[in-house]
Amino acid sequence: MIMRHGHAQPVHRPTVFVVDDDAAVRDSLKMLLKSVGQLVETFGSAQEFLDAYKEDRPGCLVLDIRMPGMSGLELQEKLNERHAIIPVIFITGHGDVPMAVEAMQAGAVDFIQKPFRDQDLLDRINQALEKDAANRAALAERGAIAKRLATLTPREREVMALVVRGKANKVIAGDLNLSQRTVEIHRARVMEKMQASSLAHLVRMVLEVEKS
Amino acid sequence: MTSRLSRKQRPNARIRGVGTSDTKRAGPTRWVQLELQAFLEAAVDALILIDVHGHIEVVNAAGLRMFGYEESELVGQKVNILMPEPDRSRHDGYLSRYLTTGEQRIIGTGREVRARRKDGSVFEAELAVGRIPQVDPPRFVGFIRDITARKQAEEGLRRSEAQLRTAQELANLGNYVVNFRGDESDYWSPELFRILGRDPAEGTISLDDYCATLVHAADRDRVRQAFHDLDAGLRSFDLEYRIVRADGSQRYLHHITQAVRDEQNRIVRHVGTMHDITDRRRAEDELRQMQDRLTHFNRLSTMGEMAAGIAHEINQPLTAIATYAQASQRLLAIGTLPREDLLAALEQIAKQALRAGEVIRRLRSFVKNREVRREPVEVNRLLEDLSLLAETDARHHNVRIRIEGIEPASVVQADPVQIQQVILNLVRNSIDAMIDVPEERREILLRARPTEDGDVEIMVQDRGSGFAVGSEDALFTPFFTTKAGGTGLGLAISRSIVRAHGGKLWQANNPDGGARFFFTLPELRGMQVDPGDSESRG
Repeated sequence: MIMRHGHAQPVHRPTVFVVDDDAAVRDSLKMLLKSVGQLVETFGSAQEFLDAYKEDRPGCLVLDIRMPGMSGLELQEKLNERHAIIPVIFITGHGDVPMAVEAMQAGAVDFIQKPFRDQDLLDRINQALEKDAANRAALAERGAIAKRLATLTPREREVMALVVRGKANKVIAGDLNLSQRTVEIHRARVMEKMQASSLAHLVRMVLEVEKS
Repeated sequence: MTSRLSRKQRPNARIRGVGTSDTKRAGPTRWVQLELQAFLEAAVDALILIDVHGHIEVVNAAGLRMFGYEESELVGQKVNILMPEPDRSRHDGYLSRYLTTGEQRIIGTGREVRARRKDGSVFEAELAVGRIPQVDPPRFVGFIRDITARKQAEEGLRRSEAQLRTAQELANLGNYVVNFRGDESDYWSPELFRILGRDPAEGTISLDDYCATLVHAADRDRVRQAFHDLDAGLRSFDLEYRIVRADGSQRYLHHITQAVRDEQNRIVRHVGTMHDITDRRRAEDELRQMQDRLTHFNRLSTMGEMAAGIAHEINQPLTAIATYAQASQRLLAIGTLPREDLLAALEQIAKQALRAGEVIRRLRSFVKNREVRREPVEVNRLLEDLSLLAETDARHHNVRIRIEGIEPASVVQADPVQIQQVILNLVRNSIDAMIDVPEERREILLRARPTEDGDVEIMVQDRGSGFAVGSEDALFTPFFTTKAGGTGLGLAISRSIVRAHGGKLWQANNPDGGARFFFTLPELRGMQVDPGDSESRG
């Protein structure tokens, strides 16, 4: 069962999405993943998955590199276009190494050659899920900071910009043609609205949003 | 006739024996005069008599014709009127030098000079001058021959020789004549000396020395055999082989020779050309190497694609099998696998295993079901055609191919293209096996002969490294190869082609070192193939 909360919050249980044109491979993978208590959804083609997938769904994608119609590589390309951050594990056959290299360059987290030991696949899936969780946490953190930033007045933003550059209140007062007292009030508001515990914390948050 | 003869009309002139004015005299002298007149008139050369100062006294009809004068215009004139400059101004000097020093420059010897006609034109002439004895002051007689035509012929000859030489240089083609009778020496053209890297000053060498010192050791027997065949009655030969020049450089020659014989059929001389085809051969070699690389690349990439395709087809069921089994193990271990789920997984495992088997079966039938077109094929023709096909490759590796045809000629029912593929494959293997063998040993024997069962057995024998004991069985295993870059499919495919023809393919070591591959084809008895009709050519 998939629990949906309707908001982009990391409260979903992660799902392993399996895309493979081969019904037997698909079915056996579903059985394996369920045996370790993993949520699984399977798709018979790349298009089927694209139509069904929403970017806010946490998890990872196990993708056969060779498929009729849209290949695994093309699906990866489409996801990149959609800025989906879901980690991709490619399943490759013998002789597909050049394709796997291409996939890795396009951002795949890993690939595994068929046939594989179950534990090898499960380890890779666990790593991918951890990576997805971290990515989503970072993304959520950035979202929260952005929301707090949005509550600042233009004057408070000006003051904050100078504060994070390490300027003293007196200097800021001179730069903005304000009294030192007024600067102190704006500064306190900024710290409060941004929920910053220290100047260092504030600097980290500003850097975090500037990164994205 | 006599009117043409003239004599100088000077008072002190003493004309003896020649002259119209003397006709009054009777007796033998007159006969001499008449005979002399006849001589002079009949002469083709110009004849001129001059006195000590160079004045012309007598000139014959040929002289008048040659210089374009009337008799009256010349007699009494200085003889230098007949000369162009600088001789014209210097002639008086020549005369007086002779008279004072007695030094003979021209008298008694012939010399080529330039002469001048009345119209001013100049021509090449040969001049002989003699002094008339026992007269004083001295008088001289000159014979002049117009050699314009001869000069032109000489010039023409010189020019065509130069052109021939240039042509030979441009074509890297030299020619020679070897004379077998002692009366003439051998001839090598200048270009031949250059091709053979020999100084023309050192002269020519005998055929034996040529074979022993210039012909490449590995080609020597072949060249000697060719000369031997000429001795034995063959009219000509046409060979390509290598020479090693004195400086060590190696060249490829195309050598054509014809034997010229007398009525008793003895060889009088060899006439031959040697064409330095080193550059052409190098270009051919480069092209060939490029083609080899391309073919090899094509084969590899086709094989690679096929292998990836097969691997994918088989990996799918294998992956499913492994995953079902591993999932079942996990669930059984924690005791949460319902009986129905286990049965379903086992059913899937069995189904997928059969599916993998089906993939392999499809693959085999794909290989097997290629259409085979059988037709009557003459075995000896097959071998000859094949040696043509293999020749470039063999020559490239300095390998000789020898053919021993089947006696009496036999016909088999076969797909000529496929059987040629088999033999070609065996020949290629043999060539590859002899790369490290000294060139003299690099020979492949293609032999066909009847078996006791009435089939035709074809053998490809090389003198390469042979097989290690124990590796024989692996030879026919697909993908087994001892060659870098080999696909390991050649022998496996060859064997399946032969089997499809109802024959068998096997191998043995050559007792003299190297390998032998045999295969049999059932003979088609009582069937004749018109050689002109066979489609096996090509």
